[in-house]
Amino acid sequence: MFTAAILGVLAAMALAVARCLIGPTAFDRLLAANAIGTSAILLLALFGFLTDRPEFLDIGITYALLNVIAMLAVLKFFRYGALGHEQDPEKDPN
Amino acid sequence: MEFLGDAAGLVRDLVSGVLLIAGAGFYLIGAIGLNRMPDVFTRMHATSVSDTLGLGLMFVGMLVQAGPTLIGFKLVVIFALLFLTAPIATHALARAALHDGEEPLLADEEGRLVPTDLAASFPDLEQRIESPLTSESVTAPEGGEGDGNDDDTAQQGEDRPSNS
Repeated sequence: MFTAAILGVLAAMALAVARCLIGPTAFDRLLAANAIGTSAILLLALFGFLTDRPEFLDIGITYALLNVIAMLAVLKFFRYGALGHEQDPEKDPN
Repeated sequence: MEFLGDAAGLVRDLVSGVLLIAGAGFYLIGAIGLNRMPDVFTRMHATSVSDTLGLGLMFVGMLVQAGPTLIGFKLVVIFALLFLTAPIATHALARAALHDGEEPLLADEEGRLVPTDLAASFPDLEQRIESPLTSESVTAPEGGEGDGNDDDTAQQGEDRPSNS
């Protein structure tokens, strides 16, 4: 049953990759990329149970933390065009 | 007693198997919705199924197998991380999409899906999207002069002594 679950998650991952490739806007691709990241974490956890090697869960925790930070960083970049504070042209020190 | 232990293991395998298969099914439904829905906002709606129900059922299924051990605790940690941050990410994505001028598809009088400018229905929407939330204020502080090369946000930059 772990094998069946892994196959299901892999199929979902393939569908997300398809959306990532054809998605018309950047937000579609970003949504699909987030779904792929979640699928990867789930896949790691399931694979650890399938092979009786629970060390994979630690990698899953790392992936979860990275996923969050990457998503928020990309969104902030989309919104403000930069990762720092926004440039004020009147008070620009340069 | 040997038979009893086998029976308990069998029940555990059955319960976790049913949960895992159901979770994988919901996960797959979410991924199919990601491909079939017409615009970004409905696609976000579709993936929320896989992020909550699919993920939740599969993690509970693995938790039944793991039992109250360190492995189970790690599973709970991963699940809590994903479960708490998925709505935040979706919210930020929807906000960024609206801010970027993405128009959601709404049905007109004949039932066709047309891109609709939400500002016509909600007059204060544009102002609300444009103005940053109080928690994500990124403007430079008023009095600060020499903080142009500071990469931090305004509040953190004020509290911290300048190191450059």
